[in-house]
Amino acid sequence: MECAFGITGKDYVLLCSDMAAGRSIIRMKSDENKIKALGPHLAMAYGGEPGDTNNFAEYVERNMRLYHIRNHYPLLPASASAWIRRTLAESIRSRNPYAVNLLLAGYDTTTSKPHLYWIDYLGTKAVVPYAAHGMGVYVSLSTMDKWWFNDMNKREGVEVLKKCIDEVQKRITVHFNFNCILIDKDGIHNINIDSQDPLAELESESKAASGDIVVDAPNSPLDVGVTA
Amino acid sequence: MNSVLTQLQPSAPHQNRLEEQDELDRTDAASWGSMAGFGNLDRTGGVQGMSIPRVSDPTSFLDMHTDNMSSNPDAKIKIAHGTTTLAFKFQGGVIVAVDSRATAGSYVASGTVKKVIEINKFLLGTMAGGAADCQYWETYLGMQCRLYELRNKERISVAAASKILSNIVYQYKGMGLSMGTMVCGWDKTGPCIFYVDSDGQRLKGDLFSVGSGSTFAYGVLDQGYRWDLTDEEAQELGRRSIIAAGHRDAYSGNTCNLYHVKENGWDFIGNYDVNELWYEYEGKKKAERESQNAAAAAGASPMAVEP
Amino acid sequence: MENNGGSVVAMIGKDCVAIASDLRLGNQAVGIASNFDKVFPVNDKLYYGLPGLATDVYTLKEHLRFRVNMYRMKEEREITPKTFTHLVSSTLYEKRFGPFFIEPVVAGLPTPTELDPHPKPFISTMDTIGCVTTPKDFAVAGTAADKLYGVAEGLWEPDLEPEDLFETVSQTLLNAVDRDALSGWGAVVHIITHDKVITRTLRARMD
Repeated sequence: MECAFGITGKDYVLLCSDMAAGRSIIRMKSDENKIKALGPHLAMAYGGEPGDTNNFAEYVERNMRLYHIRNHYPLLPASASAWIRRTLAESIRSRNPYAVNLLLAGYDTTTSKPHLYWIDYLGTKAVVPYAAHGMGVYVSLSTMDKWWFNDMNKREGVEVLKKCIDEVQKRITVHFNFNCILIDKDGIHNINIDSQDPLAELESESKAASGDIVVDAPNSPLDVGVTA
Repeated sequence: MNSVLTQLQPSAPHQNRLEEQDELDRTDAASWGSMAGFGNLDRTGGVQGMSIPRVSDPTSFLDMHTDNMSSNPDAKIKIAHGTTTLAFKFQGGVIVAVDSRATAGSYVASGTVKKVIEINKFLLGTMAGGAADCQYWETYLGMQCRLYELRNKERISVAAASKILSNIVYQYKGMGLSMGTMVCGWDKTGPCIFYVDSDGQRLKGDLFSVGSGSTFAYGVLDQGYRWDLTDEEAQELGRRSIIAAGHRDAYSGNTCNLYHVKENGWDFIGNYDVNELWYEYEGKKKAERESQNAAAAAGASPMAVEP
Repeated sequence: MENNGGSVVAMIGKDCVAIASDLRLGNQAVGIASNFDKVFPVNDKLYYGLPGLATDVYTLKEHLRFRVNMYRMKEEREITPKTFTHLVSSTLYEKRFGPFFIEPVVAGLPTPTELDPHPKPFISTMDTIGCVTTPKDFAVAGTAADKLYGVAEGLWEPDLEPEDLFETVSQTLLNAVDRDALSGWGAVVHIITHDKVITRTLRARMD
């Protein structure tokens, strides 16, 4: 009962997830944030078995933070994806496996390239330009196939994402609210995908250049004053 | 010895009729004229004597040995499955597009299946689910539609034709029939689509897609659909949606058959290779992007949004 | 196996071997990625393919990379195809009671030594728990294995030159995966000869 999308563009990556949480047929919450920031340029949208999801996401978050504290630089997306995959692959053959599927999105500041990884609870990892998890897989992968193209600018990327969300709301009987972030060279930005122009706020921000508005991101590890 | 004989005897028809009654019907059927090829029809044209396995619970017997109801995918008998079919109404009539792959398990049993059944000049039926179920009952529907024409001196409406089909399959509900079909055509009321499935559900609508790849087809279809599409645009949309589904869904693909229903009956537009079209679309996308970039470099708006 | 799909085929030629795989990574019926290579190099004379459960493909690949690097450092020489096969086999058997869902295929050209100046091209394949077979003609594995057997039996002949072997292995793979719903979505072929490795991606059916 969940739905997440990831779309890469020229110099950014979009991550979008539904916000429903509950038990069996009951929705207990419709504004649960299921996207977690794992670093200044790294985030994941996660879903799966309730309980496992949050636990695993926090485990990943703390480990990414630990790495950042120890090394004074964050784990790059490619390495983070390998670590997360391995954690899940080891978990699946343990007595109590995590049943968590996730989309990992990041911006590699060393190469200035966006990254997107499709990872499932078995530890399967695919490097993809666009992907979906949950119910979005069935209705919106073809939408992305048709309208996604290489080197999209931010507006074009948001257009494709809007098409996908529109399709989910049209064809999936469950109603979803969506939560969306954009990661680029400046970090993680929240985006209101329901608004007429989701990028307006972001653009005025970058014009004003009034400091980074990084949402839910951990504090800079240098503040802690601990070295490895 | 006796038990062996009983086993070898044909199974009893599921309607518990007396044998004399059967005999009566048979003579009656003969008096209606030739029933060659459909020799098991009763006086009203209903199908009789569909044989049922002689076990205490035929439904679970079928379920155990076939993968029909997907509750038992490991069953030894794999019934042909997996499809993408779609049909939609628009200003210029009805577009019907289907793929042509039939799979048994993961084996691609055929890549040249005709999944549009030409019921008559004005009626098309699509095929999803059990291939044999669709083929048999839609052919039978064609016969019933012809009888209706002869009796009433006018063409049957799409609504009535689809109702005949849905009534038939509803009789067999729960016995393992598997079909999801769209009855499409043109009648007095204009273009018309009915979705009929083996649960007995029958829906009238403007736009349907059925089969394992249907969700992928919807993903392209919904986002490109308008009522005032031109004929060419509509045909292209139908084709593009089938290619999208053929690409993503493992159990759909090979080729796309496209039909266009207009006021004076249906036209077969063509058969297209899914793979060739996929590469063509990818090539076009790349070329469009390049020319767009070239235009942007030449001083056009750099923030141009794709319409 | 049927979860992610995918197939690998290897063939012996005249002083060359070929190994090829499809590129599909699926989640049951849904295709997820068309860039999932299942064939990996050990060195420029030895390649191996790992069709099966994708999570195990990664885990096993990384594990073997580690073991081969350790071997290289300790022995100060490259591992031979035969030794590598036994390494893979024992790695698989270590997981006898909770196996990797993978059927590896190994293809390589052993380097000539004083004892064996004219070694024969080598291919081998294993089941999920490491039972080795070393065919003299071709080896197949994956969801299209049964279809690959059929085509390979018909097309393969002894002593094919590299370019002919490329044609044979490509046609075998393409035609077999076209009859398998869970394989396809692109293909890659490696031809290993004594002086070079030719790698080509094929224009495969994308449905």
